[in-house]
Amino acid sequence: MKTAVRTTSLWKIYPQEPDPVEAVRGISTEIETGDFVAMAGPSGSGKTTVLNMIGGLTRPSRGQIWIGDREITEMSDKDLAQLRLERIGFVFQSYNLLPVLTALENAEFTLLLSGIPKDERRKKVLELFNKIGLSGLEDRKPGKLSGGQQQRVAVARAVVANPALILADEPTANLDSKASEDLLDVMERLNQDHGTTFLFSTHDPRVMERSRRLITLVDGQIESDERRNHLSVSP
Amino acid sequence: MAHERLWWRVAWRNLWRNRLRTLITASGLAFGYLGAVLVVGVSDGMMVELIENGTRLMLGEVQVHSEDYLPERNMHHTIGGYEGTDLEIFLNRIISQEEVSAAAPRVYGGGLLSSGEETQAALLMGVDPDREPRVTTLLSRLVSGRTLVAGANEILVGDEMAEQLGAVLGDEIVVVAPSSDGSLGNDLFTLVGILDTGIPAIDQNYALLALPDLQFLMAMGPPRIHEVVITVGNAKDSPRIAGALREFLSDSELPVQVSSWTDLRPELAEMVGLMDASHFIIVIVIFGMAAFGVANTMLIGTFERRREFAVMRALGTAPIGIGRTVVYEGIVLGVISLIAGALITWPILVWWHNSPIDLTTVISGFSVAGAQWRPVLRVEYSVQAPIVAALGLFLTSILAAMYPAWKATRVPPADALAD
Repeated sequence: MKTAVRTTSLWKIYPQEPDPVEAVRGISTEIETGDFVAMAGPSGSGKTTVLNMIGGLTRPSRGQIWIGDREITEMSDKDLAQLRLERIGFVFQSYNLLPVLTALENAEFTLLLSGIPKDERRKKVLELFNKIGLSGLEDRKPGKLSGGQQQRVAVARAVVANPALILADEPTANLDSKASEDLLDVMERLNQDHGTTFLFSTHDPRVMERSRRLITLVDGQIESDERRNHLSVSP
Repeated sequence: MAHERLWWRVAWRNLWRNRLRTLITASGLAFGYLGAVLVVGVSDGMMVELIENGTRLMLGEVQVHSEDYLPERNMHHTIGGYEGTDLEIFLNRIISQEEVSAAAPRVYGGGLLSSGEETQAALLMGVDPDREPRVTTLLSRLVSGRTLVAGANEILVGDEMAEQLGAVLGDEIVVVAPSSDGSLGNDLFTLVGILDTGIPAIDQNYALLALPDLQFLMAMGPPRIHEVVITVGNAKDSPRIAGALREFLSDSELPVQVSSWTDLRPELAEMVGLMDASHFIIVIVIFGMAAFGVANTMLIGTFERRREFAVMRALGTAPIGIGRTVVYEGIVLGVISLIAGALITWPILVWWHNSPIDLTTVISGFSVAGAQWRPVLRVEYSVQAPIVAALGLFLTSILAAMYPAWKATRVPPADALAD
């Protein structure tokens, strides 16, 4: 199996008076391509920070990160942006759709940045919307969508360019049970169909149950790392 | 290109997310445009008023003299020397120039005026009663009486001179003046009109006689004149027209000096130049103030959208792309403001230009650099001022967006997402 993400001795220390805060303390791990991994742990355990470092949104204080075969800790902001555009999709807890764009425009955002022609963009997005139950909602602004619909648009935005890796930060935290299950179904299906690697930060038991690997963080360190063998997509 | 359109779209829609804020900011810029154009227009109006009053009253816009007449104004230095010149031919040559509107001859002398027991020194000015009104407004400033008739020994004086002499219309005034032949000329003239120019130096000191009458008094033949006063289409073009006329007349055998009003009244020309230069300062000050307001508003807008910028960064937007959306917002805001500004400004400008505000009931006129300024607020407009103001507005909106744009590119994505 190829490695999608590798970290070695990853630290994140926030300089703070009187004592610096060590949010992540020496995490070393590897995530295989096509895996469906949940990173669990209590609040403040460093899940989001690890996700942000892997996505190049914040730089580690020490340690190294590889995305595929590229080491990213010394990359410029511009190169990191390009790397995210080409290889990484983000799904956020609070959806974070751009409020001035419609659902369709939000979903095609990364395709637009990549310079994909309009017809091709529209075709891809509409196919995806059809798959994940967003047909007919293309022209709605985020304010006119439910939380579940917004999160599905966010997932569409993250996966539409077929990135190798999706980083999802508490994607189900603001959704009810039904919407959460639906969303997880969508993501599992994308994982299976496209071989996209998913790395979640979560403390939602439903996400943990669905994951194939569960990494538990406590106080910025890996407390446990267990492989799970089941994968169940709701009918 | 596709994402260029995206940034423009995002910029446009962002502007309308908070309509009220955008409308207030655009209104600020639009009124800044109005203010800049109007202040420059009023200043231009004052400038034109000063030039017109400084030239149209008596000076004219261009003058021709014998080359050695100025600055001493020696009475013997007439155009063409002692022989003089054929006046009609000379004037026709001048008027044949394309941009010359009219020309009138003059003779000057110094003398004493006596009426009853009172005597006053006076500057005597011989004018052609038919031609003079085509070049200056001097003869239209009569407050009583009528204008001169050539050959009738008539005289006009300023109201202050008339008061000093104790003379009223119809009185006889004795004029004594040195003649060109060395004798002392004297004659009786009838006061037929009293002038009020508003310029004390003229109203106290000048006496106007018909050109042939003064020539006769000063023992000068009809071909001898000291000055030809010329009016041109646009006073601002006078230096150029004077240069062309100088070139043209240099072919003739008459050694003449051609001067524009800017040579004859350098203090007035400097004042006009100063007012012209101040226009740019006015535009800079107005839009400088507006820039801080716009920058403040855009900075608040940028701060409110930190999370969105972070999301865009997370999705793969390079920092420069984030900056662009903010700068494009500034440009769009500039366009909207300019359209609004032009729509507000032009009707006001045209109305004000056609209906100057008369403040004569509130304040009286005064003279500046020897030119009378009437208390009438008039607006002049040119192509230059609105274009400069439009550029000022654009630069303001773009420059005001620069700092917020830079701040937007510096938003730390992880921190902003955690907010």
